[in-house]
Amino acid sequence: MDKKTTNSKVMIVGGGISGLMAALSLDSLGIGSIIVEKSPNLGGKVKEYSQVFPDFRSGKNITKELIDRVKQTSRILTLVSTTATSMEQYDGGFSVATSDSNRHDVGAIIVACGFDVFDARRQEEYGYGVYPNVINSLELESLLGAHETRGGKLLRPSDGKPVDRLAIIFCVGSRSKRLGNPYCSRICCSYSTKQAIEIMEMNPDASVTCFYMDIRTYDRGFEEMYQYAQELGVKYIRGRVSECSALPNGDIQVRAENTLLGRPVQGVFELVSLSVGMMPCPDAENIARLLDIERSKDGFFTRKDSYFYPHDTNREGIFLAGTVTGLKPIKDCLTEATAVGSRVAAYLNGK
Amino acid sequence: MNHNEVKNVDYGFRLSGKPILLYQDRSLAADESTHHMEKALRQMSMEYYTLERCLQCGICSSYCPVHLLKANESFSPRSFIQKTRLGLLDLSGDELWMCTNCGHCQMVCPFEIPLLDVMASLRHLIVEQGAGHVPVSIKSSIASIASFGNPWKEEPANRVKWIQESGISQSLGTEETPIYLFLGCFTGYDRRARQTAEAAMHILQTARIPFKIMAEEEVCCGDTVRRVGDFSTSEKVRKINRDIFLKNHVKQLYVFSPHCFNAFQDMFVKEPECEIQVVPLLELIFDLLHQGLIKLNTYQNTRVTFHDPCFFSKHRGIIDLPRQILDSMTGIERVEMEHYGKNSLCCGGGGGGIWRDIKKGERLSEIRLDEAINCGADILVTSCPYCLSMLEDAGKGDEKYRDIEIMDIFELIGKGIRDENN
Repeated sequence: MDKKTTNSKVMIVGGGISGLMAALSLDSLGIGSIIVEKSPNLGGKVKEYSQVFPDFRSGKNITKELIDRVKQTSRILTLVSTTATSMEQYDGGFSVATSDSNRHDVGAIIVACGFDVFDARRQEEYGYGVYPNVINSLELESLLGAHETRGGKLLRPSDGKPVDRLAIIFCVGSRSKRLGNPYCSRICCSYSTKQAIEIMEMNPDASVTCFYMDIRTYDRGFEEMYQYAQELGVKYIRGRVSECSALPNGDIQVRAENTLLGRPVQGVFELVSLSVGMMPCPDAENIARLLDIERSKDGFFTRKDSYFYPHDTNREGIFLAGTVTGLKPIKDCLTEATAVGSRVAAYLNGK
Repeated sequence: MNHNEVKNVDYGFRLSGKPILLYQDRSLAADESTHHMEKALRQMSMEYYTLERCLQCGICSSYCPVHLLKANESFSPRSFIQKTRLGLLDLSGDELWMCTNCGHCQMVCPFEIPLLDVMASLRHLIVEQGAGHVPVSIKSSIASIASFGNPWKEEPANRVKWIQESGISQSLGTEETPIYLFLGCFTGYDRRARQTAEAAMHILQTARIPFKIMAEEEVCCGDTVRRVGDFSTSEKVRKINRDIFLKNHVKQLYVFSPHCFNAFQDMFVKEPECEIQVVPLLELIFDLLHQGLIKLNTYQNTRVTFHDPCFFSKHRGIIDLPRQILDSMTGIERVEMEHYGKNSLCCGGGGGGIWRDIKKGERLSEIRLDEAINCGADILVTSCPYCLSMLEDAGKGDEKYRDIEIMDIFELIGKGIRDENN
């Protein structure tokens, strides 16, 4: 493989934190890139997060810093509200057409299109989309981001009443063969715990009850965060919630089995948040077809060799970064995006 | 709050005239009241916070002796913690009083949760702040300690009168400084436990060790009363005892009971200026045997097993000492029960268990006697007045346990003393 690619530019599909970081990594090696982002803004999902775990940094600030750095360099071109429409391979590179009727000749492509959250309406027994006070974790996250303007308490969607009793239901759309997502989404335990901490910290009288199956706070600092949540008085009940039903005043009744006591448990909550799991990006299928790369049965992209070539696809010159290969927390995405830069640089140098 | 409450529904089926409830909701409510309960515990008890560390792995429950009994299947330290944390603990129930404080749970807990402190702290809320139900027998024992200095409303003078009557002389008329013995309530008042003290004093006399008992003055050590939650009474008796020790210039205090040993060890740690060394009498007697100050006859092929008092073995790591004593006695074959040493099973007497009335067939001491029989022992020896009493009570009137003798280690030694004068 000592052929040298004629074009040294790289196209990055996706302008979330992985795409931005990959561009910065390439930039630091002197390689230019074009970020193609479907939505009108860079920053992906992370810009919506008020705080991230386990260190409670602002998600907004993390994306802002990445975007600022991207803007400071002339080697990175960002195209928002743009998608790739077709791709042709030629000797030593790819020619990609974008929806803005341009054509870009690049030496390599990095797929960093991210993930999607599970549509909680599919788990009908929880009444998401039917009861206004059953929300998903992203909606809770934006409520938390807005709390300062609302006087230190969450205000629930149905009637704007301040919330004192909240339930968080873990593993919604994860670890369910029935729903086609048999895998663990990895980060829900931690982000839900983080949200519980935020609620308890701003309203120490609140009652936050988490219904969980297993607590998987696996990384450095995560378990400590879980212990801290319990110290604040967050209650954890082991058991998958069987149903949520709305009461006339808008409250939600939750039923589950407390499997640690072997007894049914029920509670009435003013607001219920569903900690939805993660799914492959909705565009993954299109992108896979467009670039002719493989996906696995679970819908995530397949790595050429997850030990030695974790960033490579089955097709030479096309690489992967971030959650397209499976779910990971923000820091892992950034690490992977940094690494893909050096992998692509080596490829462009014919190594 | 709960508008959707499910009513007990009678669908009209009748069996011999009785309506049959087809659906009955027996679920626990995680509602505002449990939330307030949990918050209240959180605010009132510092020790409560350690429960937050619990991962519910359940290793404690697999070791808990109370959980072993069929009658107590519903009790386990793990579910106790779970209920407490969710505010579901029933303070008017018996659950809080089941723990015998053997300490196995905290010995094995990977997160080092001091469950016994939590128990004491929660019982404290009930006993001193009236938050729930206290078993009657425990209530009366506490009251008696507060006013009489012992759990049975006995006259303080009777604590020592029997010694004078039995003719044991304490000082031997020598000029030597005597050692100080702390009798403890059981040894002071209980007819059976007195025999163990007599045996011990006989050993001391044989070895020509002068000793002094401050029994007219001494009061309960305060260990068990603290463990059932009455901190102020425990503190009160501690101060009385401390003043007596100081008045007598006690430097070294020998105690009969592992419970007293624990109480004083912990209590004097709190007061560094009170430089009293507390030693189990067992240790002294081991030394006397070791130094050859007591000569023993040869026993006749006796198989002896040792029941470890929890407050020696699990709480203080005193495991080898009694075994070394047994091994040094010729003619005695030491056999071990299924559970021994640190893994020993509790007799059920600790943590206030000695003051509770537990039905025959539901006692931990019965498991222990079964184990002793199974290991083929002729004599079951222990070194704690609580254990002795619990084990003997379990054996009483039961044919099954007729052939096993239960005694204190001091009695076993005392019986074998070779009187050199003869």
